[in-house]
Amino acid sequence: MVLNAPSPLRVLSSAAAGATRRRAARLLLAFALPLLPALPAHAMQGMNMNMPKEPELGASAAFDAHGRLWVVDAAGGHVRLRHSDDLGKTLSAPVEVNAVAEPIYDEGENRPKIALGPKGELYVSWSQPLAKPWSGLVRFARSLDGGRHFSAPITVHRDHAVITHRFDALAVDGRGRVVIAWIDKRDMQAAKARGRPYLGAAVYYSWSDDQGRDFVPERKLVDHSCECCRIALARTPQGDVAAFFRAIYGDNIRDHAYAVLRTDGLPSHATRATYSQWRIAGCPHHGPGLAIGAEGVRHAVWYEAKHGPTIWYGQLDPGHPPRHLLKIAGAGNAHADVAVSGRTVWVAWNRVDAKGYALMLRRSDDRGAHFGAPVALAGTRGDAGSPQLLLRRGRAYVAWNTSGGFRLVAAGAGAH
Amino acid sequence: MRRARLAALLALALPACVHAASLTALSAADVPALLKPPARGERIIALWALDCAYCEANLRALAGLQHAHPGEIELVPVATDDIAQRDALEQRLQQAGVAGYPARAYAEATPDRLDYLIDPRWGGETPRTLVIRADGTRLGISGALSAAGLRKLQP
Repeated sequence: MVLNAPSPLRVLSSAAAGATRRRAARLLLAFALPLLPALPAHAMQGMNMNMPKEPELGASAAFDAHGRLWVVDAAGGHVRLRHSDDLGKTLSAPVEVNAVAEPIYDEGENRPKIALGPKGELYVSWSQPLAKPWSGLVRFARSLDGGRHFSAPITVHRDHAVITHRFDALAVDGRGRVVIAWIDKRDMQAAKARGRPYLGAAVYYSWSDDQGRDFVPERKLVDHSCECCRIALARTPQGDVAAFFRAIYGDNIRDHAYAVLRTDGLPSHATRATYSQWRIAGCPHHGPGLAIGAEGVRHAVWYEAKHGPTIWYGQLDPGHPPRHLLKIAGAGNAHADVAVSGRTVWVAWNRVDAKGYALMLRRSDDRGAHFGAPVALAGTRGDAGSPQLLLRRGRAYVAWNTSGGFRLVAAGAGAH
Repeated sequence: MRRARLAALLALALPACVHAASLTALSAADVPALLKPPARGERIIALWALDCAYCEANLRALAGLQHAHPGEIELVPVATDDIAQRDALEQRLQQAGVAGYPARAYAEATPDRLDYLIDPRWGGETPRTLVIRADGTRLGISGALSAAGLRKLQP
């Protein structure tokens, strides 16, 4: 049976798992780890009291061409890789992607990523916090032997200043190139040094032509992105990788831009693609989702709160307002992801109320023109990371990491 | 540079170095009391997060407003980060010049649920300013407050 090109496409785009931006704070302690020998023993004691006990919920998942599920998250300074051959019911023992422990962003919109290459290559990226707030390096490692061994991690970008390079997003294009995009503050820092105003951060990207052995020098996609929202990536029918991300327009209007990330040396252009007009000088920590149909329709979901929290669905028409705009959900709903297979479009998100979390789903069987009513697929009274939609043989699944464990929740077969 | 970093780490690591007012835990059970209208004037709940680059300035601006109306405004900074990060939170409160206020920090296994209980019209973006007035009315504003936004908060 031929598989629907599944995971490499999807992981990319998706959802920040990770429940909570707010535990980012723990990273401040992680920053300190490399310098611990310099601290007196009583200082270390004070820090140990605050060390997290449980892994954070920032995880990513992907299916390979054989239908095996791969899951990455972080624990104890290691990105760990597990797999499942029974649709998530049981997970293998973990393999450590980075042999040497290092601080890892693993919550909220910032989490380890996994993508598969055309020959089953396993590509993993993450962001490493440094010793200043909001700083980081984008890290990458690969396995060419089915996850048994990983290369020593490399820093993807040439600029190693202690500034923001984080919120990495990972995808593989139709030619097997590994593409990584991230949020980068070098231009903001340069403007600040010259006493000039600069809103937000920038999006930079790079790619590898040799299965992740090396990456080309990074290039800037665009200035004035939002500082703290994940970047969604998805593959176009032509095999390029496209990005959809929150950007800043005018006076802190935080709408979204769409761009094809060109890997032929020609410049890429980001174009405004949502027109919600939400003005906020702040951190939404709430990035969008993107899935592109075989016929090229760009299915997108995003969050804004101009008139109260709202998750929107729309079909992007860069330079113009999206088509088939639909309010998917209102207050109490967050972190949506989207997937498409044939005529079916799925949107999954978290709903929270006084009782706890529900994993919600809406589906369309007419390419996004109409959606059915929301359905609760699962629930938890514990904490939950953002859902990530995955495709396997024409069926959708939601990867949902909860404090009770990783769950893969079936979301139904697509209509054909 | 390295010395500065070490000093910062020590400040972070040693509770004795930080003399903020009491940073106390905020759990779901504490929310009704936090939201109860004050006897007079208004309570400003300043929701902030360590990972929010806009929050320190917003806290400072709200403290300025409170100073101008000391009898009418009660300012309560509430960190949406877990109180396990007490040291880093207290350090940041001090940097923002609001260490003297009765600050709270989340102590809740499901922080999004706490967001919802505090303000169901809030999607978790920070900074978020929630005003509870003595007459029971509320006002919620997301993002760092402009001068015009601050004026709206005046009692």
